[in-house]
Amino acid sequence: MRLFTSVLTPLFCLVASAAAASDYHEQLVLKPLPQNSVLASFDFKSNTSVAQFEAHNFRYFPRSLAQILQHAGTRELHLRFSLGRWDAETWGARPWHGTKEGSTGVELWAWLEAGSDEEADQKWLTLTNALSGLFCASLNFIDSTRTIRPVMSFRPEGDHPNTTMTNMHLLHGVLPREVVCTENLTPFLKLLPCKGKAGISSLLDGHKLFDASWQSMAIDVRPVCPAGGECVLEIEQTIDMVLDIERSKRPRDNPIPRPPPGHELKCNTSKPYNSHDTCFPTDSLSAQEWTISQVFGKSMKGTCPLTDPAVPPVCIQAPHSRDVFTSAGVTELKVKENERCYLAPAEDDFELVLPHMPHEGENAKSDADEYVKPETPLLYAERSFTGHGQQRGGVQTIFTNPSPDTEVEFVYLESLPWFMRIYLHTLQARISHRTGSDKGETLAPEGDVIQEIYYRPFLDRERGTQLEVRMRIPPASTVFMTYDFEKSILRYTEYPPDANRGFDVAGAVITITTLTPNGKTSSLRTTGLLLNLPTPDFSMPYNVIIFTSTAIALAFGGLYNILVRRFVGQDEGPEVSLVRLKGKIRAAVSRLQSKTKKPGPPGMAAEVAGGKEKEAAKIE
Amino acid sequence: MSTAVDTGGASDLTLRKEAVTASADNAPTAPEPAVGATRKEPPPEKPSDTRRRSWVVASFWIIVLFLGLPIWWHTTSIYRANLPLDRMLEWSDGKACRPVFPLRISLDPGSLQDQEAENLLRLTQHALDDLNDFPAHHLRLQLAQKEAKQGSDVALTIRLTPGESVHTATSSLHPHLPILDVSYPPNSIPTPMSSSSGLATYIAAQLRSNFAEEQNIINYLLESSTAHQEQRSKSVSQDVAQTLSKRVTRSLKYARTYHLTFSLFTNGPSPSSWDIESAIDQYMRPVLDMLAPIHNFTLDTQVQLYAAPGVQSQVLSKEDLSAFINAAEWPLSPSIGGAPTVNFVVYIGNQTIGTEAAETSQSWLIPQWGSVYLLAPPSSVHVASDTLKQPILTFTSHLLSLLGTPQSGSLPLRLSTLTRVRSADLLLRASSSLGSLARLSLALKSISIPSSVADGVAKSMHHLELACASLGNPESLEHAQIAEAEAERAFFEKSMVGQLYFPDEHKIAVYLPLLGPVGVPLVMGLLNELKAWRNRRRQKAKAA
Repeated sequence: MRLFTSVLTPLFCLVASAAAASDYHEQLVLKPLPQNSVLASFDFKSNTSVAQFEAHNFRYFPRSLAQILQHAGTRELHLRFSLGRWDAETWGARPWHGTKEGSTGVELWAWLEAGSDEEADQKWLTLTNALSGLFCASLNFIDSTRTIRPVMSFRPEGDHPNTTMTNMHLLHGVLPREVVCTENLTPFLKLLPCKGKAGISSLLDGHKLFDASWQSMAIDVRPVCPAGGECVLEIEQTIDMVLDIERSKRPRDNPIPRPPPGHELKCNTSKPYNSHDTCFPTDSLSAQEWTISQVFGKSMKGTCPLTDPAVPPVCIQAPHSRDVFTSAGVTELKVKENERCYLAPAEDDFELVLPHMPHEGENAKSDADEYVKPETPLLYAERSFTGHGQQRGGVQTIFTNPSPDTEVEFVYLESLPWFMRIYLHTLQARISHRTGSDKGETLAPEGDVIQEIYYRPFLDRERGTQLEVRMRIPPASTVFMTYDFEKSILRYTEYPPDANRGFDVAGAVITITTLTPNGKTSSLRTTGLLLNLPTPDFSMPYNVIIFTSTAIALAFGGLYNILVRRFVGQDEGPEVSLVRLKGKIRAAVSRLQSKTKKPGPPGMAAEVAGGKEKEAAKIE
Repeated sequence: MSTAVDTGGASDLTLRKEAVTASADNAPTAPEPAVGATRKEPPPEKPSDTRRRSWVVASFWIIVLFLGLPIWWHTTSIYRANLPLDRMLEWSDGKACRPVFPLRISLDPGSLQDQEAENLLRLTQHALDDLNDFPAHHLRLQLAQKEAKQGSDVALTIRLTPGESVHTATSSLHPHLPILDVSYPPNSIPTPMSSSSGLATYIAAQLRSNFAEEQNIINYLLESSTAHQEQRSKSVSQDVAQTLSKRVTRSLKYARTYHLTFSLFTNGPSPSSWDIESAIDQYMRPVLDMLAPIHNFTLDTQVQLYAAPGVQSQVLSKEDLSAFINAAEWPLSPSIGGAPTVNFVVYIGNQTIGTEAAETSQSWLIPQWGSVYLLAPPSSVHVASDTLKQPILTFTSHLLSLLGTPQSGSLPLRLSTLTRVRSADLLLRASSSLGSLARLSLALKSISIPSSVADGVAKSMHHLELACASLGNPESLEHAQIAEAEAERAFFEKSMVGQLYFPDEHKIAVYLPLLGPVGVPLVMGLLNELKAWRNRRRQKAKAA
């Protein structure tokens, strides 16, 4: 995408410079991926001059966000809402080189202008609270335990004058438990000048977006000072999603997948048992046909009139041999190899059709005609828990450098909750070759891998752990980084609802400092983890109250009674009503007996009863 | 057990056992062994045992009463700072302060002799006092100082000039200064002996009519605050009260700073820009500058495209007007920070307002929120400053009524009236907040009152006193405002609510398992001991 814009720029530079002062730009890039997926990257960019921004006159820049930024003294803002996992093995390198991506949940980092750390914290609190209201997200739960100040990982993207640079504080917070959903998309769309009513934003629909295999919504605000020009404040909103074509083609009124009826089954005819009533279904992963309105659930309603009409709103990154049909009035531009763009009519609906391409017969097409082979990422990373039990655990992160000849250098950042007490001395990196004859063998000592560590230990209930590790991985090798931690026991009120589900731990941020071919840094994030803490039974306090009270009452009652009571013989104490009742019943019974059984030995019952009574000592 | 039963008792036991068997054997014919018949009195207890038992019971009770209870009390009691409840209730009942607005009106005699001027002053004051029926609002005349120093506490200056007309006096309000120009016929100056004068009556009537609205508003405020019941001697008439109540409910709550948001909404993609900055500077800025002593304003503007109104119909009926603002979709979020937001919306559309009243009206005011102006779609994508003239002027007048400015009189006079009305209003609000807080703390005994609340109350009352003492002066507004803010802060203190909903059932559930089993033996032991003690006394008395 970056590459593409850099190629496009000379094409449209005349037009762009004419409308540079306060312009708006939007573009959708579709990229078919292997296994019947398609990556859709929406990019909306609007500018306002800094002078207009400071005079509170807003045109394309959203007022609601601007006043939050002004109130909280925010110089640069990055907000991410993400869901799902990017499958790097299949889909290759991330869109935007991972710079528009966040950890699962909500991630926010911003540069605030403040004189001191305390002032920065205060402004951060204002910012998170205001953003939480604007985006209907629980951002206000980013408190001091979830906030860190990264040292090596992030660099400002905008152009800041040196005077403000010295006063800028970077704060970073992440909410891994937040479930991103439609209520976050609606305010996101409201920030756009065309509001999802026209242009590519009319394709965005919560049902499809949050049904995607992976999606990331990003908002970046940064000042941009072009050389010799007036400084502008740029807001860039992007949405990237990977849609499973088969899944998104399901009709909305019948979303439950059902087995297709017999006559629609595609059978593998090469099987020996294949006949009219036996069928082995062929691999359903063969490429499907799709159209824009099918995968997005609605068609695109014209173009947004605020954009430059010369900039094509929709591009598709696929080999030129891929058949693409368009609706009437659409102009196709072949921008470069493997990329085509489409100029849409202003008013009419826009439609792209990518038909099914036969893999057999005449004009047979291969996978290479379906999609561009995904670019290999610079680094693969995955992270998981190790160990067992409720007391200790470990974390293992596996980094793989797929490149056969270049080494990769990156900063690994973890923001861990305070109840995960890590032992830094257990941090280890083990390196092994991934391929070749010496596979699995340890090559270089650990010292060569870990270059630098920045560690800020946790404080209970005040702040979490911040761990930044600068690492370098030689070509074609894998590094296993492990460390151990202890799980702490929380207070009763600190457990969230549904505590047995576990506690989410945010994904690690990996900032690759080795530059990509076009000179940009790239980043990636591991998936979040689910930490199981020892969880108590939550009716415990009442049980404890009852138990202790009973124990105290028993001990006290016994002691007290013994101390104050006087012991006398059974016949000396006052008669207790129960004993008297027993005596009466017994008397009535024996009277009855003596009447009916005259010849029987008299006084038997009384004697037995009396004997029993003798044994009881009466306590008063 | 051995602690309580001595050996004597144990030997008794064996003896009695034998006795029971004996009685059972000896009376085989009697079916009832007659436990009662063979019941014996226990041997007399040793006095040392009795005494020891009394000590045990007493020491248990001493521990419970002098150790347990204080600890329980200390650990479960809720901190309640001392509030001056009586004073607070006095404020809310209006007994602490009688709002009196002494307005000083200075008389600039112009070419008149001192003697004549003083005479005129006396007569006018008489006439004013005769006219005035509302004690809280008092106009006091004074002669203007020769140094002509416009004191800030002078509400209005009357400038006398001899006129050309021979018969009647005329008067006019200066449009930019608080000055009433009165031109009088030369022959109407009262002689020192005369007890009445046409000119004096005329001036008095003019003053009265100029301040009538202010009087009504203040009277209405005093009356509607339930506290000042005793002052409603002469109430405002029904329809005046109605219009006033409409106006008061329409106006925004007082704040030092207001945030004005100007928004351009359109249903489609154009127009997408407007000359709002120059339009505001041209048509609204002068009024905002005049309001500066009372209010500060911050402004922002926005353009929002593709904004569908909440009502789809082409002709807007009166009911539609309230639903026109599409609150769910239009980004009209209030400004963050302390200042309340006033919204001014220009809506580009073909809609017309179809009320029976006016064909031409294009705008309406939404109480305590802002106002909307419907503008016909312009031909270009840019809205020029000239097109915005009418909307901005309408917004300006709407802003004044949203701020609660009275409607008659010249602008400076209206603004100084606004100051006084606002300070009265804030004073009453603060008092009633204090009263509510006092009643709340009386009604809810379990509510905690942190010391910050007591601080807030003290500060609020201090400023209330200052405000009350200087009513009518600009600084009273300052004080009333601080008092109101402090009273609100004290009333809405967050930490007060935490303990509020701690239900009694919960307490029972926590205490009962402990207090039941422990309390019953304690109480029973005490009762038995008392009974035994009474018996002993009775026996002693019998023996004696």
